[in-house]
Amino acid sequence: MDIMLIIQMILAALAAVFIYTIIGFIPGTDETSVLMPITLTVVLAGTPPIIVLTFFIAAIVTLNLINAIPTALVGLPGGVMSSPMLEHSLFLKEKGMSAIVIKKMAVGSLIGTVISIPIALMLANILAPYGEKIKNFAPLLFFLGAIFLSLIGKNKILSILSIMPLALLFMGLRHLYWGIGIVPRDVNITTSFFLGITIGPLIVSLFTLLNKGKRQSMITENSKKIVIPSEARGSTTLNPFKILTREEMRNASVAALIVNFLFVLSPVGLTILFGETMANRMKDPVNKATTAITTMSALGQATYLSGIIIPLMAIGLPLSPTAIGPGGALFNAPPVFTVENNLYHILDKWEFIVAILIGAVIAVTITYYITNRFAGRISAFVLRKIPHESILGLFISFILLLAYMDAGLINVFGVLLIGVTCGTLNKMGVSYGIQFMTLYAAPWIIEKIILL
Amino acid sequence: MNKEKQMVEIWGDIVEIKSLVMSIIISGITTMGAYFLAPSNNKTKQLFFGLVGAVLGFVISALLIKPKRIILLEEELKKK
Repeated sequence: MDIMLIIQMILAALAAVFIYTIIGFIPGTDETSVLMPITLTVVLAGTPPIIVLTFFIAAIVTLNLINAIPTALVGLPGGVMSSPMLEHSLFLKEKGMSAIVIKKMAVGSLIGTVISIPIALMLANILAPYGEKIKNFAPLLFFLGAIFLSLIGKNKILSILSIMPLALLFMGLRHLYWGIGIVPRDVNITTSFFLGITIGPLIVSLFTLLNKGKRQSMITENSKKIVIPSEARGSTTLNPFKILTREEMRNASVAALIVNFLFVLSPVGLTILFGETMANRMKDPVNKATTAITTMSALGQATYLSGIIIPLMAIGLPLSPTAIGPGGALFNAPPVFTVENNLYHILDKWEFIVAILIGAVIAVTITYYITNRFAGRISAFVLRKIPHESILGLFISFILLLAYMDAGLINVFGVLLIGVTCGTLNKMGVSYGIQFMTLYAAPWIIEKIILL
Repeated sequence: MNKEKQMVEIWGDIVEIKSLVMSIIISGITTMGAYFLAPSNNKTKQLFFGLVGAVLGFVISALLIKPKRIILLEEELKKK
């Protein structure tokens, strides 16, 4: 490894921090739909694998923290991972505590990163010899994951009942595409289906607008008034130990530690589960909310980092929601990476460690400073200059592009079908996590039903 | 019914229907337009062109459309 390569890695990390700081401040941008296409482009452009990894690690660390900022500042979640924080953030915002919330988020993210990286690296090392065996159980694990997430969720029966029909929908479309020959038999379309699930609720809202009666009831008179609290602009201490109480620090650390072992489960699911569990141990409502925020912020980093590091280093298959969704391009991006030849096969242990450390350290340091110092100013700029309409337009064209690239015009409508179905289920109470798990387990589910 | 100012809340923020339709059309055209400009045998270039098109559409619509949010800084409120 020479100096030039290290410099390139540092530049890649800086580029990721820059891009995802801007994207992160935009409310409502989904992690998968902003991480996957850009990473895919970086991979396909022929960037050396070690630099791709540095870029991706810096990107997720940046995005996870920055996404939380609009949640605290203006009450709009920056992404899916920050939506569990919304209720607690709003509560604290009303109490005029936005500034301290942002600081707590920043420290939480620092804790998550610092704890998760060594643990994930260690777990990857331990699991590596079993990688081959785990591969055989992957679909079963995803299926059990979907059932498990259903059982711990609020709408247990609804969620469980939706698993089979969803699996049928995904496999039905795949078989249709294979049948008419638009996609080769050995290709499982995943990327655009995944985005279809992600964008589902938006598609349902847009479709509802096309119904005249419903549209009338959705119309509001007023623009949204957003007050950016002044204490969020500029602040004093950067010392993490002064920002968190001992108890918050312990809760965030314990949660961040545990989730590393559960890397195959949905990051949002885990964030809600452990974040709320830790928060519910507090009696005082303010304490409860700050504990939830800190813990969830740490969990965001820990679930993403372990979800990408362990499958990438130990297995070589995208065996976690993070790996198959946002990080999908690191495992499978033909012709550069395939399941038989990706980062797992190309990089050795030390290359992994160096890339992960450079990416994470650069990202966490810069974003920690930025959020503590400039959160208010950047937020004001983004909210004043970037219309929500353009963001929705950008997303829809992303989906259009990736759906078309996966299987042509027919898949644009296929993804629309997935969006309407999954979006409706989502609004009824079937979480993203369950839907993603079902997508990964779909071939196995269908095969087992046929065998029964 | 005032067709000009139909505001609805989607994905946690307020949008105006007309602007939304405009933005979707602009981004859709620039994205797919750029995609088809790329050499058809090169997936990388197609994706790259498409993404550049999407960003271009985003910039154009961001310049044309005014955000429907009213942003106030608490400091400025206090001064008044």
